[in-house]
Amino acid sequence: MWGKIIHWIEVRIGLEELVNKHLREFHTPKGATFWSTFGFVVLIAFIVQVITGIMLLLYYIPHPEYAFKSVQTITNEIPYGWLFRSIHNVGGNILMAAIIIHLVHVFLRVSYKKPREITWVTGVLMFFLVQFTLISGHLLPWHQTGFWQTTVTSSVPAFIPVIGEGISSYLRGGEFVTGVTLSRYFSFHVVILPVFIVALIFLHVLLIRRQGLSTSAIVEPDTDTAPSDEFRREVHLESQPCFPNFATKRLFIVMSYCTVLFFIMTFFPNLFLPAEANIQADPMATPELIRPAWYFLAPYQLLKIIPNDILGISLITIFCVVLLFWPFFDPTDTGRNIHKRPLLLSLALIVLVLWAILTIWGMYS
Amino acid sequence: MMRYFIIPLVVLIGIVSTGPSQASYRETFEKEFMLSPWHIAAGEISACIQCHTSDNMGPEMHEITQQWKESFHAKHNVSCHDCHGGAPEDASMSMMHQRGFKGSPKDLDIPEFCGTCHIAILNSYLKSGHGKTFIETGEGPNCVTCHGSHNIQRASMDIINEQLCSQCHTYDRAQEMKQALFMVESKLSNVEETLDRLKLSGINVDNQEKFFYRNHAGFRALSHSINVDAVRIKSGDYIKKLEIIESEINESFNQLKFRKNFYAYLLLLFIGLSIVAFLLSKSYEQK
Repeated sequence: MWGKIIHWIEVRIGLEELVNKHLREFHTPKGATFWSTFGFVVLIAFIVQVITGIMLLLYYIPHPEYAFKSVQTITNEIPYGWLFRSIHNVGGNILMAAIIIHLVHVFLRVSYKKPREITWVTGVLMFFLVQFTLISGHLLPWHQTGFWQTTVTSSVPAFIPVIGEGISSYLRGGEFVTGVTLSRYFSFHVVILPVFIVALIFLHVLLIRRQGLSTSAIVEPDTDTAPSDEFRREVHLESQPCFPNFATKRLFIVMSYCTVLFFIMTFFPNLFLPAEANIQADPMATPELIRPAWYFLAPYQLLKIIPNDILGISLITIFCVVLLFWPFFDPTDTGRNIHKRPLLLSLALIVLVLWAILTIWGMYS
Repeated sequence: MMRYFIIPLVVLIGIVSTGPSQASYRETFEKEFMLSPWHIAAGEISACIQCHTSDNMGPEMHEITQQWKESFHAKHNVSCHDCHGGAPEDASMSMMHQRGFKGSPKDLDIPEFCGTCHIAILNSYLKSGHGKTFIETGEGPNCVTCHGSHNIQRASMDIINEQLCSQCHTYDRAQEMKQALFMVESKLSNVEETLDRLKLSGINVDNQEKFFYRNHAGFRALSHSINVDAVRIKSGDYIKKLEIIESEINESFNQLKFRKNFYAYLLLLFIGLSIVAFLLSKSYEQK
């Protein structure tokens, strides 16, 4: 019976050839370790967000008078609504963490160099877009935490000279966070940003499929040579078929992602949903402490400690632009082995340590 | 080639430049669908508070607003006009009697003034010894004697104390009343605390809260009758009603426990699958 079904499909779509071409014949280099699978985790985490998001969307009402009540109904009345909401809430934060780990790994491997500049740019763009998607999602349940976080984060662009006020006002749909803001953030969170992210995912994956998976110049020193001016897939002498070798690594890391997800949900269910996230938004009651989400704490703290707003926002903008186009700033005649590039390694470590310090500082200030 | 850039640019400029002409549409849209009730809420605070905190007013007026800000009323968005009437959204008309402005009540009008909202308590008070004495003689305790005026805090059993009650009569009678109230009051306070805890854990307790506050208000109204026998007789009924809420609270805690167990089960499942996947990947690595 099973064989007949497979044969039926095989005749129509050539499954065997598809699996051979895209999985068995697609080889991954020796240097592709567990760390190399984080990009795949990001993809799976994003799909989980889309599925749980769609489930929530079935009952969510994007209006200030009903948003909080509808989320409460999802959590308490709809069968297993609490499970979907919890996965969506915790999953979003893990997605962000996985993107950061992936980004740092790619940077430390210097995998962004020619011919993978566009892959890097699309990845960093996705990093920014996912961040904004998560921030816009905070407002949707219309609770105290999300309302006041949005009040803070939507005021950040206002520091940009000339156009800043306009951007803030456009995001909020006015001077304050109101129902108009909820409507806009709902559109951003559910349609606009996901469409761009999906487009970028396609481009990112297409480039990886065309160029092959990047390897480590430390594990495979042969790859630390100047790339050709013509399109050429890298040849790895000790490569392994993607399926099943690398696929089992991916399976392990995806299972680990699920383990972390349910670990947080079991032991720290309120880690990303503090007590105030269960109180309806009240513009007349400002909480004692307003703090943006953990991934936005570093830039927020930087803006707080630099007395000159324009200087603060300029530093953040410059950092974002440099990060986005980093492959074009990195000298072309340098190698890919990070051990032979102490300056680059120091730069990466300084940025990471600063980011961690600012985040912790923001958490306790 | 340039036309591919110029045409969209012209269209974009056109859209942006027509923005202001659409302002009236946007305004209508926002007022109709999006801003209410936040827009009104923002307006309410402005006229009364702004004027009473301005330099035109003396320090005693500033103190009134400060006391209100720290009160239980302020915490629950009961604003100036809810008691004093008027039009807080319109500074020029805010104190016009035509707009319902009542001003400060005379002493004898205080029970009716507070009773606008606290209806059951007013009825109970008027039938009590306190109320009868006050209405007949103009002397004796009214609402503000025990609760204050602008700095109203949440009432508790501590409000019945020797210092306050012995201003008019011996404390023995008050103490007897306090003892009669004790059992239900302590249960009320426990149930309320647990409901708050559940609410902050993400459980919807709207129905339980409504039932709770109906009973809470009923018992508080009863306590204003200062009739010890009536309180003792009806305490049993209130305890039974509160026990119904407690059983629903227990169900909610069981639901939270079920969720935690469900997450833990999935956690164990994925730990197992992770181990299997890890061993599988290692075995392929060796091959």
